[in-house]
Parts: sequence; structure tokens; C-alpha cells
Amino acid sequence: MKKIDFIEAKRLASLSALDFSEEELNSFIPEFENILDMVEQIKNCDTENVELIYPLHKLEELREDMSKSGLSQDEVLLNSPKSKKGCFAVPQMLED
Amino acid sequence: MEFEKYSVLELVDMLKSKEVTSEQLTKYFISKIEEKKSLNAVLEVFDDAITLAKEADKKISAGENGKLLGIPIIIKDNILYKGKKCTCSSKFLKDYVAQYNATVVDKILKEGGVIIGRANMDEFAMGGSTENSAYGITHNALDYDRVPGGSSGGSAVAVAGGLCPVSLGTDTGGSVRQPCSYNGIVGIKPTYGRISRYGVVAFASSLEQVGPMTKTVKDNAYMLEILSGKSTNDETSSEMPVIDYLSQIKGNIDGLKIGVCKEVLEVMKGLEVETPFLKILDWLKNNGANLIDVSLPNFDLCLPCYYIIAPAEATSNLGRFDGIKYSARSDKAENVDQIYTKSRSEGFGKEVKRRIMLGNFVLSSGYFDAYYNKAKKIQIKLKEQAKEIFKKCDILLFPTTASEAFKLGSKTDPVSMYKEDLFTISANILGIPSLTLPFASGENNLPLGIQIMANNFEEGKIYNLADYIETNWRWK
Repeated sequence: MKKIDFIEAKRLASLSALDFSEEELNSFIPEFENILDMVEQIKNCDTENVELIYPLHKLEELREDMSKSGLSQDEVLLNSPKSKKGCFAVPQMLED
Repeated sequence: MEFEKYSVLELVDMLKSKEVTSEQLTKYFISKIEEKKSLNAVLEVFDDAITLAKEADKKISAGENGKLLGIPIIIKDNILYKGKKCTCSSKFLKDYVAQYNATVVDKILKEGGVIIGRANMDEFAMGGSTENSAYGITHNALDYDRVPGGSSGGSAVAVAGGLCPVSLGTDTGGSVRQPCSYNGIVGIKPTYGRISRYGVVAFASSLEQVGPMTKTVKDNAYMLEILSGKSTNDETSSEMPVIDYLSQIKGNIDGLKIGVCKEVLEVMKGLEVETPFLKILDWLKNNGANLIDVSLPNFDLCLPCYYIIAPAEATSNLGRFDGIKYSARSDKAENVDQIYTKSRSEGFGKEVKRRIMLGNFVLSSGYFDAYYNKAKKIQIKLKEQAKEIFKKCDILLFPTTASEAFKLGSKTDPVSMYKEDLFTISANILGIPSLTLPFASGENNLPLGIQIMANNFEEGKIYNLADYIETNWRWK
């Protein structure tokens, strides 16, 4: 059974904030199908009585709430591709 | 002097007794990196390496101590070292400069280690051959036409190729152990939480650990003690006391209970590793160990579970790369949305994109229960099954890989590449420690690794058996 079609692949690309050409997406679909065929094996495993536990970390393990210096503004901005007046710069979002 | 012939422990002694200086060692290994440049194992030699080596020499002269004082070390390109580039072998982070140290880097520096460079890897640690690097493929240290394994391929080749005495890798599904196996060296994926992950660029946070890659078992035990311990910056790092792992090496395996998993024997049938694996089992039995038949009924589901859980976490972890705070920005972007999509599309390589897409698939509504939750439930089942195994035995023995290193470019389909991790992935899903050491050679005379696993935080038992095999088992 086909699990993913072009529309679904487009939806995933959008969720992933990734752009693909039509050709890239078409070559991606059969690879993706193969991977899903492989992971599909899990469906036959009985997990009826397994309770899903997400690890909740113990509250007593929280560290003391002490102020300490972090990275400086310059250090933070150093790896930004574009910054302006001490801020991350992006194209204008709102009209004047 | 050919310094690559010496272990870390030997070099530590030689430095202490002033038989050699750190400057000599560092210059020697840097010249080796240059000489073997075509392996493409090392992406950058840090420009302050020799200065740091000279400082180490001064400390040695002043009588200061440090477990790694003056020892040159190479780190994988996903470990932050302040002021140095860290690219995760991705175009996307080509100019990224670390602004703080990973805990493991701090620990190395505290003991006087000299970090001389960063090693090539599969982009964002996704891959099993180091063919997914934006900075070119790395070649196997023993056969230029074959893969070094991955994702810590550069780190493994650096040690096996004599470019440094010890390196660090990271292991999310076998990324330390598989390349170590392919290059004939020793590597460990410690218990989850044994080593702090602070400052290591995250791929699948619930599965990965940093691991030392060394020429000998004793070096590995020595390194693990240095790197381990709780860090307040990583809540998942463990409070479990760090022990002197070298002292756990007793020189005998009398009465050691070794579990042999029937599902693994079944899968191994007909594979290259089968004959030597069965041979060493016999030998261990004749040398005092008790072999115990055990079962991990859902062993076959480790791989599918991994390829659900790991991409799910990766998609979330890689969400931070947006072309704004850090990572390269597309110059074609005209608005904020385009900054995200165009920068990510230009920055990430094919395998990374594939895993992000897969992660979003298994996490998206309608599929979440069937894939992600189901895989997490199976992981719980598997952990219960492992618990039963370790009630009966001290050690669980697996092969590391099915066969020798494969030829460069020979695995083009993702699923066949993913199956490379067949034997290593279970330790990440279970969270248990697992070490590989070379124990046989295949038909092309290239090494094969054996994997020694134990219950959580029982690395000491692993090192004892590993050292026993390394010292007494003759295969070369």
C-alpha cells in the first residue's frame, strides 16, 4: 500500500520548513516508502499492556536558582548571519 | 620516534619522565595529519595547538599533574570548543564558532589535554559511512577504497591512521562503535547519562552519548573515567559515582556469566562475522566464562524503533537551525518564512533532510500513535527484556558489524545503509553501555569488531572482559 503521495510529501516538506523541487520530491517518495516499509514491522508487536511513561525529571534535582552570567550580547550575535544594533536582523515584516 | 605506536598511557609516562615533550608529540601528530591529508579525517588543525603543547610542557617542568597533561586529542566536529569552529560537517554551520566549551572539552582541558583539531563526520551525525559530510568523504585508515564507517568516521581514522593517540566521537545508533570496528580500534558508547552531553550538538538527545576512541582497552578505560560524571548543565547526566575503570581490569574472567542472545545468533547466520564470533565464544568458555543462552525477543524491532525515535528527536533538535540566530542564511530569502525554508533547504544535506521529513511524518497528527508512541512502548518492552537478561548474566555479547568495511559509494539506498547499525542500535535503544574491540579479520584481512555490553553503569565489567580478550585472544 502506498503510504505517501506527492501531496503528503509536500505537506511534510512544509512542516519541515524545507523546499524541494518537484523532481527532488518525486525521487524522495520511493525512498521514503522503503524506510516506512522497514519501520512498519513494529505494527505486529503487541504493546497492549505497556504503559507509556515519559521521563519526568525529579523536582528535587533542580539546581539552585542563582543568577550567573551567560553569554555576552556580542558572543550571542557573533554567529548570526545578520545583526543590527545588538539584535538579530531579519527582513521587514510589517509595513511602514 | 614513531609516536603513533604508543598508547595514551605510555605517552603519559613518557611525558612525565621527559622522554618526550608535548610540543614534540603535537608537532609529530600535526605532521602526520598533513602527510595523510588524503584520508580527509581531520577538517581543521587548531592554530593554537602548539602553543597549548608548550604550555603543557611548562606545567610538566613545574611538576604539575594532569591525567592528560600534554596529550594531543582530536574531537568530533559536533563538540563545542570555545573560539573554534564547529560545523557538524554541514554547510549550514560552515562559519559557526563555539561560544562555550562542552563539558567533555572542559574535562579534557582540566586534565591538561591538548585538543589539536576537529574530525570529519556524517552531517549532524546522521550516517554510517562519513560519506554524508559537506566537506568530502573520509577514507578508511586501512583501505583507502573503503568507508571508515560513521558517523564518527574522522575520529576513528584519526586514531587508526596514527594522527592522534585518542579521539572523541558521539554514538547515537553505533556512530562510535561501527567506525571503530571498521578501523580496528576500541570505542565505547557508555551508559546513557554517564557522560554529560552539554555542548554536544544534539541529534537524538535520548539516545546519544560521547565516547572515547582509542587504540587499547586500557586507554579507553582511562579516558572514560576522565570524561564521566554529573554536570549541572545536563539534567540527563547521572549522579552515579565515577569509578577508576582501570582498577576493574582483573586479568581473569573466571565465572563470568556471558549472555548469548539466540535472536542475534539467528540474524548472524551466514554473515561474515558468524564464524569468528562462534569461535571466540568457545574460547571464552574454555577460559573460565559461563555461556548463558538468553533471549531478547524483540531484538528485530530495535532498528525500526530507532528509525522512528531518532528522526522524531532530530526533527525537533534541528528546528533551531533557522538562518537567523546562527547557521548560514540564504541570500535568496526575501521574508522571514523564506529565511527559514530557503536557508534550511540550501544548508542541510540530503540525508539530514530525509530524517527531518521522516521525523515530521512520525510525529504528525494521525501517525503519532501508530509510529512514535508505538516505538516508545516497544522500547519499554525491550528494556524489560534486557532487565531479565542481566538478572542472569554479567555481559551480553554481540558482533559489532556484519562484515568488514564496505566499499566507498557501494550503499546508495538509505535502508541498506540503516541496516549497517543492526547490531549496534540495541545498546542505544536500551541505554546500556557497549564497547567494541577488534577480534577477527574478514576475507580482505580487514578487522571485525566484537561488542561487549553490560547492565547500566557496569562499564567496569566490560573493560575487564575487553582487556582479557585484547591480551589473550590471538587472531592476527
